Amino acid sequence: MANVQPDLLRGLSDEEAAGFRALGVPTSLASGQTLFRLGAEADRAYLVVRGRIALTLPLQIRGGEEEVLVEETLPGETVGWSGFVPPHRFTLNATAAMTSELLAFSREAVLDHFTTHPGVGHTVTRNLATVIGHRLQVFQTMWLREMQRAVDHRYP
Amino acid sequence: MVMFATILIMSLLAVAVCAAAFSAATRGEAPQPDIQPERRLVLEPPRFFVSPAAKPAETLGVPVEMLLSQIERHVRLEQAAAEAYLDLPTRDSLHSRTESPLLH
Repeated sequence: MANVQPDLLRGLSDEEAAGFRALGVPTSLASGQTLFRLGAEADRAYLVVRGRIALTLPLQIRGGEEEVLVEETLPGETVGWSGFVPPHRFTLNATAAMTSELLAFSREAVLDHFTTHPGVGHTVTRNLATVIGHRLQVFQTMWLREMQRAVDHRYP
Repeated sequence: MVMFATILIMSLLAVAVCAAAFSAATRGEAPQPDIQPERRLVLEPPRFFVSPAAKPAETLGVPVEMLLSQIERHVRLEQAAAEAYLDLPTRDSLHSRTESPLLH
């Protein structure tokens, strides 16, 4: 991740970024290992340092349930922001698509840090809003494209 | 008097004959109860977007693993198309076509 500016840390000074990163607990996952499951309580978010995290949702295929990829998270990107956003429940399954390293940021530690460093809190919160907003727009666009195809198919 | 009695008897006889004929004609046509044909409420199976009738036959033999692989490729291509749209939003780029195996 050395060459990648983490999406959560944009706009922070080197000192502020280092202070925030120090809150993260290094976490390693083997390929195929689960990071979190849909519906589980979310008390932390993760920053991908190396590797790739696959976000999946269950889909019924021919009577069986299969995990279907909906998004991949790459180095420098944040995964599991449900840890910072109520109701603090994960809404996807997250699995390491390859051997991966992450930093785990507990909500409690981050909020304490924001209390003592409100400028950092402002910047990180704004970055988080940007990440969430962008993903909302991406999925909104994907949904509309599927809807257009459904309309074309149903009412040719 | 005899003439009156003859007419009366003939009239009664005619009425009796008509009644018998009517009875014979209407026998077996007792009024039937008003039976409505059985009506069944036929509900279509729930569907989302696409009718099951439209399911292409060629997908039935595709192994689940290959189908999952195609779905993954579809998601990646759709996500890339959505990102491209958000970089430069236009009506054309919103509905740009991809090479997704699920669409061809």
